Amino acid sequence: MSQAENAAIVKRGSKAIRIRHGGSEIFATSVLVFLAAVVIFPLIMPFMFVFKTQLEFSYHPWAWPKAIMWDNFINSWNAVRIDQGLKNTFLVSIGAIIATLPPSALAGYIFARYKSKVTEFAFYAIMVGFFVPAQMVLIPLYKMEVGWKLNDTLYGLFLPMAAFGIPFWSLIYRSFFANLPNELSEAARIDGAGHGGTFFRIMLPLANPATILALILVFIGAWSDYLLSLILLASQKNFTMQLRVASYLTAYGADRMPKYASAAVISAAPTVILYIIGHRWIIKGTLAGAVKE
Amino acid sequence: MGMRVSLTMISDGGTYVSDTKIEGKSSGGSGRKRVRDRTRAPFIFLCLLPAFLFLIIFMYYPIEETFRIATTKSSGMGPEEYVGFDNYVKLFGNAEFLASLLHVIQWAFWSVLIQLPIAFLIAFSLTYYANRFTGPLRSIYYLSNVLPSAITAMLGRFIFTPQNGIISNFARAVGWKWLASVDWLGNPELAFWSVFAVATWAYTGFPIIYLMARIEQIPSEVREAAELDGATGWRYAWSIVLPDLKYPLQILAVLATVGSLKLFDLPYILTAGGPGDATKTLAIVLYLQGFVNWNYGTAAAVGVVIFILSLGFTIAQFSLGREKGEGKK
Repeated sequence: MSQAENAAIVKRGSKAIRIRHGGSEIFATSVLVFLAAVVIFPLIMPFMFVFKTQLEFSYHPWAWPKAIMWDNFINSWNAVRIDQGLKNTFLVSIGAIIATLPPSALAGYIFARYKSKVTEFAFYAIMVGFFVPAQMVLIPLYKMEVGWKLNDTLYGLFLPMAAFGIPFWSLIYRSFFANLPNELSEAARIDGAGHGGTFFRIMLPLANPATILALILVFIGAWSDYLLSLILLASQKNFTMQLRVASYLTAYGADRMPKYASAAVISAAPTVILYIIGHRWIIKGTLAGAVKE
Repeated sequence: MGMRVSLTMISDGGTYVSDTKIEGKSSGGSGRKRVRDRTRAPFIFLCLLPAFLFLIIFMYYPIEETFRIATTKSSGMGPEEYVGFDNYVKLFGNAEFLASLLHVIQWAFWSVLIQLPIAFLIAFSLTYYANRFTGPLRSIYYLSNVLPSAITAMLGRFIFTPQNGIISNFARAVGWKWLASVDWLGNPELAFWSVFAVATWAYTGFPIIYLMARIEQIPSEVREAAELDGATGWRYAWSIVLPDLKYPLQILAVLATVGSLKLFDLPYILTAGGPGDATKTLAIVLYLQGFVNWNYGTAAAVGVVIFILSLGFTIAQFSLGREKGEGKK
């Protein structure tokens, strides 16, 4: 696909001695390509229908469209108010990043660099968050937000999202900071930098890989959220993309297929485009979180 | 997706912990000769404050509240009434709850039995026949994992809707009337499997890339030796690669189990848990009890059940991880 992709393949090819398998390799690769087609199929299929009128669709669902018409797109865009949805989802994702990263980086730094009985205890207290599924606390969370008039606001959505992300990301930051050499921070201290100066000027920039990872994955997580948005948001104008998609789905169903298909195309597009641009980062990041490098 | 990502991360949390413990010995010595550092304690306090503010407000307090509300009868309005363990007792006589518990167990069982073998076969073939297709194919397989579940559900509906859906339309074009009239999501016998099929489509990508990363860590000498000994691809997969993947496969199995305990988005958007109770999960019952029927007490009790079950499985996983970690080092 992209140049970077090609470069990666070339590198992969030259790294190891290629073993040729002939027939079995061709067969296996064909099966794998077919399976990849199965994965993409539901994303490509809607394009068959989006340019057709309802009538044209009922008579010739599989024929080539007679004319390229954009009415379905315009209709579903207006029905779902995609512009509003994108704006809200974007704000929530940015908010989640701003609320998740600084507390995680600070806490992770303490856990890695200021070991003591107290910080050890704090570490385990934060790790408790790992065992708590968001599903468990929905009722009190909702009650609390209603009490504080935080429900049905975008703040009320991304703040709890951040709380549920902080345990994991402070763990990641902790392991990044722990692997940085001691000499750097000691040199900074000798030069007269305080605790804060050492962190912000020396250590934090060195943890950039962790920060980039967190940026991408927190963004995607917030972007995709459904359950918290469903419970905490109430008015149409605050609805995120995913809520709009789901409510469109229940309101119209798939009965008017061309319109439905165009809504599917529009709603999937931002994620797919994001993925095409950043797929290598996304996969790398996900694996870095899961597999120790 | 958010849930899925954070889950996968939890999975190897154990390795990170053990990892940094080794580091800790060296970094712990940095404070040795500092005579008196008046700024140290305030600095630690200030750095930990934001994280703890978030957790106290949005996690510790709600956890305590969940346990408390679970022992009350309350509807959000009016006074709460203390009922002890009544909510839990009633849950286990409640057909809807029992059905959802069964679905969650079935879901976990079939995820492990169907999705993991598929993922292993794909991951193995992709790494075994590493060629110019490998990189792009891996990216394509993972694509469906990144799609938000609302969109996955939308695409699933697109395939499975009776009359207008892709399957029905296709069957009609080919002339298979029996297939064209199947109601995939509305038939109680089929709905579970249709939702499961959508989930398999959507979520197999992660086990694929995870297993691939593990397989790629096997040194190439191992494979060369196996090939010198005349081992075929199948034999190499079965006797060398699969045993090496025992631990990652265990992790994936636990992830699938904990994931099904929390399962909400796909079945809720696709079928709203219906028809009847056919696709209800624990999280759907919690949502319906809490936010549709306004039975806060019952919903909180379901929350406690989800918590205890996923805690049990997570602890099981952490102890599995420790066993392996010690064996290796």
